[in-house]
Amino acid sequence: MQLNQNSAQQRLSDLGMDDMPVIEYTPKQCRLDSDWFQKYSILRREFLATLTDAMDEIVFMNLNQDEFINLVMGKSLPDNLSVRFRIPLLWGGDMNTDNMFLCFTFPHSHNLDRFIIEQSDAQKVYLPNPEKKIYLPSHLGGGGDGGNAASDRLSQSAFNFMSGRGNE
Amino acid sequence: MTNNEFLSLMKSRGAVLLPPGNTNDTITANTNLQDMRAAALPQFLQELYKTCSGMTMGAACIFGPTESDRGIKYPLPSIIKINQEVSGYKKLAAKTVFGRNDLFWFAVDAFGVCYMLDNLTLSVLRKYDDPYRAMIDCLIVGKI
Repeated sequence: MQLNQNSAQQRLSDLGMDDMPVIEYTPKQCRLDSDWFQKYSILRREFLATLTDAMDEIVFMNLNQDEFINLVMGKSLPDNLSVRFRIPLLWGGDMNTDNMFLCFTFPHSHNLDRFIIEQSDAQKVYLPNPEKKIYLPSHLGGGGDGGNAASDRLSQSAFNFMSGRGNE
Repeated sequence: MTNNEFLSLMKSRGAVLLPPGNTNDTITANTNLQDMRAAALPQFLQELYKTCSGMTMGAACIFGPTESDRGIKYPLPSIIKINQEVSGYKKLAAKTVFGRNDLFWFAVDAFGVCYMLDNLTLSVLRKYDDPYRAMIDCLIVGKI
């Protein structure tokens, strides 16, 4: 199915990711090296080890202490977290950490699979391309404006938490 | 390989077995899959569901007959829900998706033959006569 920018955003919205940015991309058919899987394993660990600069997102991922340490040490991925390529390797994506992002397996990564599968016969595809290394839907990723602009107490508390202030 | 050998191997590798449901859940799942013209539950999944209602290993999972509660984490969807969502996909006609990881989906056809599918195009990448080999390949990617 050939989508356009609006229909792609609409489909993502239907899949519960209305704040997911997309990029238009023309897939190139590529062959993978015979050792791609070994390289992928190493790269995935390297990517996890770079997540130390994404603490603002990690704190909202409901990880326990062991999961958190294993994640940022690049040892293992906690249950229900997935590492995805922004541009898939088979479609010409680079084998480097800039081409990766982390998100929840369910519902997000699974639904992103569906979003891409539905476009697999199109000339141009729209690929999910979150701004940061970790995709969290906006309703999970922190508070609102805070202060006098906040519409409710929860937004105010979240703002205080995010800005490192107490909840006095 | 037998079901017990498979379970023993995967437990030793760190797979999490979700608590088993009851026989009715398996019967209901089978009926639902047949109603949506997916493949009926093969023998190996029926056997597996007697011991657990799904398995997870990192980002990889084998779906169970019912949705599995995972505490504060998002529940693991049932094999019914997964196949309802993809029931219109032509490349999955007469197949049932039973597992996934970050790179591949895994499906079984009406004859019990398992397939590794590309998670972007659903093209068949590998065909398995041994379903336990397919489930191992599915789960092992979750722990790399």
